[in-house]
Amino acid sequence: MEDKRIGRRYAQALYDVAKKHAVVAAVESDLDAIIGALDRDPAFKDFLFAPHASREQKTETLDRLFADRITALTMQIIRVMLEKRREHDIPAVQREFVAIRRDDEGIVFATVASAMALSAAEKKALITKLNKSLGKTVEAEYKIDPKLIGGVKVTYGAYVLDGTVRGALNQLKERLRHDLLKQQA
Amino acid sequence: MSSHEKPSSGSIFPGIIIGALLMVGGTYLSINQLSPMTETFTKQGLDLDLGMTVATIGVFLILFPVIKFFFIGPLTEAIDHRNQELEHTFSDAETLRADMQKLRDGYEKQLAESEASARTQIEAQIKEAQSLRQTLVSEATAKADDLLRKATEEIESEKVKAIIDIRLHVVDLTLSATEKILGQNIDAEVNRRLVNEFIDRVEVAP
Repeated sequence: MEDKRIGRRYAQALYDVAKKHAVVAAVESDLDAIIGALDRDPAFKDFLFAPHASREQKTETLDRLFADRITALTMQIIRVMLEKRREHDIPAVQREFVAIRRDDEGIVFATVASAMALSAAEKKALITKLNKSLGKTVEAEYKIDPKLIGGVKVTYGAYVLDGTVRGALNQLKERLRHDLLKQQA
Repeated sequence: MSSHEKPSSGSIFPGIIIGALLMVGGTYLSINQLSPMTETFTKQGLDLDLGMTVATIGVFLILFPVIKFFFIGPLTEAIDHRNQELEHTFSDAETLRADMQKLRDGYEKQLAESEASARTQIEAQIKEAQSLRQTLVSEATAKADDLLRKATEEIESEKVKAIIDIRLHVVDLTLSATEKILGQNIDAEVNRRLVNEFIDRVEVAP
């Protein structure tokens, strides 16, 4: 079972060391690669999270897979987590590492959803506008959701900027329902 | 109370003595033919012995007190006693009658009081029953009115709710139809325009 608090502690320690040695980007890339491998390969994921597999087997396998591809620091934290039987918390460490890095660098993470894929120019214009409006650097994750019908929706923190047709229809629907229910009251 | 009294032996003795004297004297005169008047009467055709008459008067004088003492006295006494008993009986009967009358009056009074009390209680019970009936009728009426009012309100509320539900359903249907139409009509160009409009007008919270 994944534990966010444990992941946060490991991620904070990892980030502090990575920052000290100026390898934050590399470590984040390493973690992304490991998580990507877990997402892509269910067999690898089952093996890593299997309770019957020994720590030595898991350490040896990850050494063989990643030792020459990721930084020593990342490999070291993975070994420590395997040693402590915390392999289930590796995805949480990755998420918390990114969150800590963004907090530390004053970066705002936004999710941009649209009915159709945005062009590079549209993405650039949107990020530029968000950077300017927020006064902070914005990192975006792009998603395509046909249910939005048209337009774009930006979600960051507790805020939602909805410029989709679906959002407009929902707003219209809520307003009409509100007016009708107000009449009933 | 009797007015007759038994004659005492003292009061009868003079009569007896006089009677005895007259009887002895008369007998003596009769036997001895000493009365000149007897001869005179005989000559006149009257067979009257004066001595015997005097003796008879003496016997009468003797017998009268005796009769009075031994017969009339007890008889009078018995009659007086009987009268007294009758008077006593009458008095007792009168007392009883008075007591009975008093009891009767008491009973009649009690009966009247009981009747009055019963009447009062019955009237009070009737009033109470009428009051209770009135209260029950009022409560039933109020309850019926309340139920009617609630039912009316509920019907009205349900009616409004049904209308609102219908309108909400119409809204949903309309928006659903609009969504379908928009989905069919929004192409890449329209989408690009929407995105650009969003980028132009987006304002974010700091």
